[in-house]
Amino acid sequence: MRALPQKLVRSNEFYLFLVIVVLAIVIQARSGQFFTANNLVDIANAMVVPGIFAVGAFMVLVSGGIDVSFPALASLAVYATTRILVDAGYEGDLWLPFLIVMAIGAVLGSLNGWFASRFAVPVLIITLGTASVFSGIMQGALGSVQIPNIPPAMSEFGRATLFVATNPDSGLTSNMPMSFLLLVGVVVAAFVMLRYTTFGRGIYALGGDESAASRAGFNVRRMKFWLYVIVGVIASIAGLVRTSMMDQMHPTNLLGMELMVIAAVVLGGTAITGGTGTLTGAMLGTLLIVIVQNSMILVGVPTFWQGFALGVLIIVGTGISALQLTRARKRKTALI
Amino acid sequence: MVDNVIAVRGVSKAFAGVQALDTISLEIAPGEIHCLAGENGSGKSTLIKVISGVHAADEGTIELNGKEFSKLTPMEAISNGVQVIYQDFSVFPNLTVMENLALTAELAEHRTFVNWRRMRRIATEAIAKINVKIDLDAKVGQLSVAQKQLVAIARALMSNARLIIMDEPTTALTKREVDALFGIILDLKSRGIATLFVSHKLEEVFEISERFTIIRNGKHVITCLPEELDHKKFSFFMTGREFDDARFTPQIRATQPILETSRLSAHGAFSDVSLSLRPGEILGITGLLGSGRTELALALFGSLKSDSGEIRIDGKAVVLDSVRTAISHGIGYVPEDRLTEGLFLERSIGSNIVISEIDSFVSSLGVLEQDKADAEAQRWITDLRIATPDAQNAVSTLSGGNQQRIVLAKWLATKPRVLILNGPTVGVDIGSKHDIHRVLRELAAEGLAVIVISDDIPEVIQNCNRVLVMNAGRIVSELDPTQTSELELAALMSKDVQTLEGIS
Amino acid sequence: MKQRRFSGLTLGLAAVLSLGLVGCAAGGTAAPEAGAAGDGDYTIAIVPKDSTNPWFVRMEDGVKQYAADTGLDVYQKGPAETDATMQAQVIQDLIAQGVDAIGVVPVDPGALETVLKQALDAGIVVVTHEGASQENTMYDIEAFNNTDYGGFIMDNLAEAMGEEGVYTTMVGHVTNASHNEWADGAVAKQAEAYPNMTLLAAEPRVESQDDGEVAYQSAKELLKKYPEIKGIVGTSSFDAPGVARAIEELGLTGKVFVSGTGMPAANKGILQKGLVKSLTLWDPADAGYALASLATLILNGEEIVDGVNLGVKGYEDMKFAKGSDKVLEGNGWVVINKDNVDEFGF
Repeated sequence: MRALPQKLVRSNEFYLFLVIVVLAIVIQARSGQFFTANNLVDIANAMVVPGIFAVGAFMVLVSGGIDVSFPALASLAVYATTRILVDAGYEGDLWLPFLIVMAIGAVLGSLNGWFASRFAVPVLIITLGTASVFSGIMQGALGSVQIPNIPPAMSEFGRATLFVATNPDSGLTSNMPMSFLLLVGVVVAAFVMLRYTTFGRGIYALGGDESAASRAGFNVRRMKFWLYVIVGVIASIAGLVRTSMMDQMHPTNLLGMELMVIAAVVLGGTAITGGTGTLTGAMLGTLLIVIVQNSMILVGVPTFWQGFALGVLIIVGTGISALQLTRARKRKTALI
Repeated sequence: MVDNVIAVRGVSKAFAGVQALDTISLEIAPGEIHCLAGENGSGKSTLIKVISGVHAADEGTIELNGKEFSKLTPMEAISNGVQVIYQDFSVFPNLTVMENLALTAELAEHRTFVNWRRMRRIATEAIAKINVKIDLDAKVGQLSVAQKQLVAIARALMSNARLIIMDEPTTALTKREVDALFGIILDLKSRGIATLFVSHKLEEVFEISERFTIIRNGKHVITCLPEELDHKKFSFFMTGREFDDARFTPQIRATQPILETSRLSAHGAFSDVSLSLRPGEILGITGLLGSGRTELALALFGSLKSDSGEIRIDGKAVVLDSVRTAISHGIGYVPEDRLTEGLFLERSIGSNIVISEIDSFVSSLGVLEQDKADAEAQRWITDLRIATPDAQNAVSTLSGGNQQRIVLAKWLATKPRVLILNGPTVGVDIGSKHDIHRVLRELAAEGLAVIVISDDIPEVIQNCNRVLVMNAGRIVSELDPTQTSELELAALMSKDVQTLEGIS
Repeated sequence: MKQRRFSGLTLGLAAVLSLGLVGCAAGGTAAPEAGAAGDGDYTIAIVPKDSTNPWFVRMEDGVKQYAADTGLDVYQKGPAETDATMQAQVIQDLIAQGVDAIGVVPVDPGALETVLKQALDAGIVVVTHEGASQENTMYDIEAFNNTDYGGFIMDNLAEAMGEEGVYTTMVGHVTNASHNEWADGAVAKQAEAYPNMTLLAAEPRVESQDDGEVAYQSAKELLKKYPEIKGIVGTSSFDAPGVARAIEELGLTGKVFVSGTGMPAANKGILQKGLVKSLTLWDPADAGYALASLATLILNGEEIVDGVNLGVKGYEDMKFAKGSDKVLEGNGWVVINKDNVDEFGF
């Protein structure tokens, strides 16, 4: 057995953590603002929605699949939920919006799951298709428009604050949103599921070798189906959080996030080929991207260059993980 | 015979009108080591799948533990002690040894939650059963082939297996690893666990198998004892064809060597290699995996840089710094793993054959002359007896043997003067193997210089006029096949390894 | 095995496709029969940037109003999201359907040149709205002179800021023509009329990416890094609400101000709470009406001259922009504040 420190040094998460620390120091040096209480809270705030999405994207990647439909799925689920509740004039508690959005998320996820478990079509193609279907239903059939006034329970949830962080120098205050607990909850639940349930280990097994998983006695079809259902539910939660926090439902607000989230998860060391990766890595990868996205102005990157800088980060970051993979393979061949 | 582990009675199975199995019967006694042999496509794999419950038989029954099944399910097969160790071992490369071993047990007990302490205990017990040491926390993907196989065997034994089916178990193992595997199998035998080997190579399993069953085209050919078999008979039963066992005698016209090396070295791969090759010769280079044989071949083909020494072609020193240079000097190379190195599996057979000489079918205007290219491809398909109805079919539609012939055709199409083949018949069935050997001899007779790199001892003895034995990167011996034996050659190869290990 | 795989694939694709089609057909407008040009029975399509944005949903009201007033086949059809490529695709489809005229609100004028040229080549009348830089168009109409409107936004912000302090500008995308012209106009107006105000030199222009969340996050960053900022000129309809959210959270209500374009209904809350004092806008319904009206005039073969009347308030006396014989400008802007926010009905 390898000693723990050595194991740590070899892990992708460790390097990612180092990168984040270095980046934080650079931002601090350039802006003097990074390590202020309210900036840290702002980062945590900005992390909630991508973080929840990343948990879902991570699980799919580990299983050897890839899901690009989750922002569309979340948008449709939240749009439908908000529409239903607003039209019904709902003034009640938060449980109902959550219940409805998760139910719709599950149903939409099951569509992904059904296709993925029945047909030998790459999941990328399937979810590209369902993503169009979801946004098509939302924008076509439901004729979606922005909903400016969301149910009061959602609005209150969006404003609910755990604590307020104040920057003693500037007096600026930032709210730690209640929804951060939701991110923590989703991460913990996913961790427990992946680590301590047969289903969770099965997701890793599936990503390792699908035919071996089915020979070992996993019901691969059923597992895939439920995996996408769960991912649908997780995505819909993220959607509800975003809508609540923005205090309005904008149907296209989430679209396009899939690439950033998947890049974050891959940056966190999850193999795009499936089977390997940790939730810690996925969260660190997301954190890194969120920090970069939300520090461009602090560092003073000109507006024109911000997209470029983010692109470079993603290429370099995923490139390094790819390089590590190749190195590991080379070491292996050298042994033979 | 109630005390059989398994009795297959008159099983037939057809897929889309193709009769894969035709009234096959097979019985295996407790502790028996039985070999199921047949060429690719003979129905071996279908039979295994029927026995393990993956496919239901159309007709016939399977008796397990005295119970008769006409439609066996995988769960029934497993609960009655049938375990299959697939060629790819069906392991999870991304999980630890511990999980690979324990996950199946957790699943079998329909657990919702896994308990890591319990998994460790289960895995420890499983490994103890085969009496080997493997790090439980290592990722299986990082283990050697032999270790992966051990994990698969240990896992199979966990569920009170009475019959273990091993699909081509020795293919990727070194001699020592094969010995270790046989040790384990004999140990299982002593505990009454039967083993069914599936193989198409006699020499792999001859020494341990107690009985052989050979099938061909889905039909039972013979069940016999090892004493009743020899190479020739085995080949005949498998293929239904008689093969000439004659050894190769070169017709060397030129006295000048075409290819020579002197004191060629590449750091960490091989050193001090001097050899010479004349047109019409088939030179064998043999050695264990890691002896430097593949690296030497790559150096001669310009894809591995040598550090010192010299390569001479037609007596003139050349620097082979790229594959292109090597090809331009008339050197062709047929790689070891045809599937990953040599072919574009999804492209057509025809385009695979002409790809390395595509330049010669381009007119002065830069347009590909498709007719000429097609004609060339068709010529090789006929010459090498590649079994395909259409040169436009994808290479992936062909069997392993035919794929190997495509690789051969591809290199012959470049009209090489020296052809280097690395493991030309690995994973190829007997019929194709003979065809490939026949082609090689014909090529040599036409004046081609051939190097065959192989650890298949009978192959080099039968088809080469000289054999170089490599070990730890050096050529340790040069033999005349007519003056040596398989045993001597094998001893030479492994003896040196042992001393080497004694030093380190 | 191969066979099964293939049929599985086909089935899956077929299912996805048919579902997608159902989704589209249910909400989309049926393809109209193309009417021949010059016969007075025209088919005119208006292509907004984004069919879900309430701004353009409001625009469709005007388009429908025009159809009702004239009895012509006039309808609106836009991309599902603000995306230049998708918009080009919509226009491509319209060319294929053989409409008589296309009125476009371009996402990115540069990206549309090719497809609009195709339309013109096909004999289709092309007019644009908020695309002053568009080359392949017959006429572009602006609710107003962009520079003047920018100045108007600045007047609003200056009033809230007490005509002093540091400010910066926010646009949807730095490639968005109108937003940048407004922002430039605002800066010009400040230089001319408000000497005690200064533009933040380090970050004179930031992007909200037409996304309320990005506007919110960027505003927070700006206000952290540059505590001297007292005002932000917003342009896109996402800017002011997003910035207002940041101002409220950071505890800067009453200290930092934002102005910009916004719809009454969507901003009722922030206006009534006083997070934003006033917003400016023009009625997109009127612009939609005017676009269709202009297209009809051209199809009828009428000459477009200075002072042309497009039949809707603010567009009754269109003037060519300075130095242009293509860009027509009206004077259709309005201010909304907490007092009149309920009067608009959209």
